[in-house]
Amino acid sequence: MYSRELEGKTYTFGVSGKLWRDALLMYDHQTRSLWSHITGEAIQGPLKGKKLKSLASMPQITWKTWLDNYPNTRVLSVPVRGVMREDIGRDVYERYHTSQDTGVSGTKYTDKRLPNKQLVIGVQVQRQAGEDGLAGQDGADGQAGADGQAGADGGQVNIKNYLTQTQPKDSDNTYYRAYPLTLFSDTPIINDTVNGVPLLIFHDKKTFATAVYNRAIDGVMLKFMPKSGYTVQDLSGSQWNLITGKAKSHEAIDIRLERIPAVNIYWFAWARYYPETTIYTR
Amino acid sequence: MNKLMIILLLSITITVYADDLTDPIRTLLPFDAIPAITEPQFVPAGKAKLDPDASVIGVTFNGESHAYSLYLLNGHEIVNDVVGGKKIATTW
Repeated sequence: MYSRELEGKTYTFGVSGKLWRDALLMYDHQTRSLWSHITGEAIQGPLKGKKLKSLASMPQITWKTWLDNYPNTRVLSVPVRGVMREDIGRDVYERYHTSQDTGVSGTKYTDKRLPNKQLVIGVQVQRQAGEDGLAGQDGADGQAGADGQAGADGGQVNIKNYLTQTQPKDSDNTYYRAYPLTLFSDTPIINDTVNGVPLLIFHDKKTFATAVYNRAIDGVMLKFMPKSGYTVQDLSGSQWNLITGKAKSHEAIDIRLERIPAVNIYWFAWARYYPETTIYTR
Repeated sequence: MNKLMIILLLSITITVYADDLTDPIRTLLPFDAIPAITEPQFVPAGKAKLDPDASVIGVTFNGESHAYSLYLLNGHEIVNDVVGGKKIATTW
């Protein structure tokens, strides 16, 4: 998910019908530049080389779990053959998902470290100069849920936010890591540190909810243990909801973990765009 | 002789790599054949006809939350939206 605002201008995006590295290219209606929806970068046209800001979302979650946590949510409704629908109840890409072919057109590309269609959580983290190991992070261009989901619902304490500091322009300092979903068969969380940034990787196999958080609050690094479902506990015994990122025992002051952009993506696609990626192993 | 082999192997490797860097853009469909959503419409949660186990993408900014069915997004790929005052493009 990306911001549609770039350098003070707002863009709208359409589907170009073109493929690059086996993924669709978007185009913006304003300049007709072509954009990778994997990297958020324009690869052709007047905006070539520009990069959209990545934003954190819950990339996939069951409706019931989302609704339980965000009861005031509104739901996209789309006309399907004249009737407004919120779901169509079938997957038109079912064959694509079940075959090991990569790319809609069946292109062969493979990084043999994992099976092509192994789903992974893909995270990119930038280390920032200056601060100690806690500084830095991110997806795409250094933006976290910084002005996004972390702190979204307002009224929370002012958590010192490492991730909104100056954004490094060069991508040389970016570190890529993939977390195969198979890692989460017996635990919903992984405490990891990538490029000096302490991360909490969450995937609940039951609801398919996925989220990545910066597990430092106010410069204090937290370590989490599973509790039940999407509730986890830090070493002080405080419990946290990993759908909202909020501390359950701190409802009144509304502390929450900062969400970091992450994707659920097939291994072959992640590895093709970011061949230097590491794979998390226990 | 050995040196020649190494140079030969190196040049092959470099050729393949260079080829990969210039991945072609391939046209599969005309522009907008898959219609992105530019003016999304929403219903309140209570009126949404969604199976409890349906997969959605969830977005929340500044106290406002939107959910998009993944299967609906298959037919559109992109939603141009505004959530909590934030202009976003959700891609699938």
